[in-house]
Amino acid sequence: MLEPRLGHPNIGLGLGLRTVHYQHILQHEPKVDWFEIISENYMDTEGRPRYVLEQIAERYPIVMHGVSMSIGSTDPLDFDYLQKLKRLAATVGALWISDHICWTGVASLNAHDLLPLPYNEATLKHTIDRVRIVQDVLERTLVLENPSSYVTFADSTMPESEFVNRLAAETDCGLLLDVNNVYVSSVNHDFDPVEYLESVPHKNVVQFHLAGHTNLGTHCIDTHDGHVIDPVWELYRLAHRLTGGVSTLLEWDAKIPEFPVVHAEVLKAKPFIGAETESAADVAETVTDSEQKPDEAATTTVPHPAAYVVAEAE
Amino acid sequence: MSETPRKLGQVQQWMQAVIMHPDGVVGGIESTAAQTHIDVSVNDIEQVIKRSQAQNSIERLQVYGNAYFARLVEVLRDEFPALQHAIGEEAFDGFAFGYLQAYPSHSYTLADLSRNFSQYLRETRPPADAEEEGPDWIEFLIDLAALERTYSEVFSGPGPEAGDHLKPGELQEIPPERWADATLIPMPCLRLMKFGFPVHEYATAVRQGGDPHPPDPQETNLVIGRRDFVVRRKAVGRVEFEMLSAIVDGLALGDAIQRVLEQTDVEFEALAAEIGEWFKTWAAAQFFRAVEVGGADVS
Repeated sequence: MLEPRLGHPNIGLGLGLRTVHYQHILQHEPKVDWFEIISENYMDTEGRPRYVLEQIAERYPIVMHGVSMSIGSTDPLDFDYLQKLKRLAATVGALWISDHICWTGVASLNAHDLLPLPYNEATLKHTIDRVRIVQDVLERTLVLENPSSYVTFADSTMPESEFVNRLAAETDCGLLLDVNNVYVSSVNHDFDPVEYLESVPHKNVVQFHLAGHTNLGTHCIDTHDGHVIDPVWELYRLAHRLTGGVSTLLEWDAKIPEFPVVHAEVLKAKPFIGAETESAADVAETVTDSEQKPDEAATTTVPHPAAYVVAEAE
Repeated sequence: MSETPRKLGQVQQWMQAVIMHPDGVVGGIESTAAQTHIDVSVNDIEQVIKRSQAQNSIERLQVYGNAYFARLVEVLRDEFPALQHAIGEEAFDGFAFGYLQAYPSHSYTLADLSRNFSQYLRETRPPADAEEEGPDWIEFLIDLAALERTYSEVFSGPGPEAGDHLKPGELQEIPPERWADATLIPMPCLRLMKFGFPVHEYATAVRQGGDPHPPDPQETNLVIGRRDFVVRRKAVGRVEFEMLSAIVDGLALGDAIQRVLEQTDVEFEALAAEIGEWFKTWAAAQFFRAVEVGGADVS
């Protein structure tokens, strides 16, 4: 019988580590439970991002979240990439490694996007085989996230939730349940997000993601550029109840505000999970900018699965 | 759904060809590259991509098609602020759009995306008009692109911050009679670049929020390195540049000096008078990792 969260701890409320917040974090050591990094931004660099990460890893638990494993691609797995991933995880003591149920390119190209899979038996077998190989290489359980998606295929023969269920059952992989993605995809594909949450294998859920998105009326785009909306918070409340509570991470990847604003956003989770309200110190840090709103006029409607790290030069 | 699901690879090849097509997803669906994998017309697209209650299949595919170029052009804008300032946003986006078609990403990391950008600009530049007077502004743009790409590589590569660089004073520990045999080992991040314009000053002004005008042509010998995780650049005179080039080429100091004397019109006495100061400056700038004499590290 599976342990809850596949034995991983619930490490609380965390934030995606972003370069614009390095200085604040190192200087103020904010009371964040943990940080999640974009793996690809640290795998190859020997510059400041890696140096900062190693300092932060001494003070906070770290989880690695990738965007380039391309677990569903029909291209061969990139074993050099997997080895780099494994080495980074060992260096920073990553608690777990996650990526997405998607593909990012084929024929050796990379679209740098999280592209959706047709959900059918052949795709499921293909993905199961690859997850097993990756888990063997990494020598740990892989955690996979349900992506936001914008198309569905005529070649799909099962809903995404069934695909996720069977993938988890066959491989014992962990799930990173992105609650915002469930909402976004439910709007885009006309399904019931509550049914989705009720149907995923709750004991495999290791982590939640929360984020803002952009609603364009006819569809939603996973822009990660604003506050979490109320319906997503309500889905989060349900997800928390169904799973018994797992580590929760807020992503904010475009038009990133000051650190206290992002921190305040993840602390909003507390009432939904029955946790104590913010400490005085939390409030003191968050009060300054907590009313700041994203610039709606400047909202970009491009999904942001990957971030580029800009060089610092004289 | 279709009666027999198509093969996954077939669907992926088709979708990639569609969303990466420069004319948009309709052009992509009609392209040979896509139809080789799934022969479907725009009118029959629901045989591959289902519609939703609010969007038809084309509109849904356009989310991916629009995002592909938009996202990657945005990455290039972030990486090349000075080039973008020099030519304007619209022209920059045009070059970036062309580049992404000529050199689509083959890497898992966005850090590799612009690897061939300056090369692409050179490959596609109009031929220089020998009769036209004045600066070759296209060459200025290519120089800027090369400089900004180098900044990215130096920023991300190995640097001297761990402390394994040659310290000021360590060179003095070499016995004078062995100086000629000494070899300086450069830091992997050290780059020597020649430009026809002072592109470094222009790039710095843009990064500092300024609105510089394109500079007049000027032979510029640039030494690029890193200290405290920030990319540093220093313009040097031709003789110092040639000396650094000879050292980076692996020549021992005696041979490096000989090459510089042959390549430039500097006199030995003048070179000898300057070289001591250069060494101090280079050590302070953390250009070198170590010094070896006869293959042994003496730093």
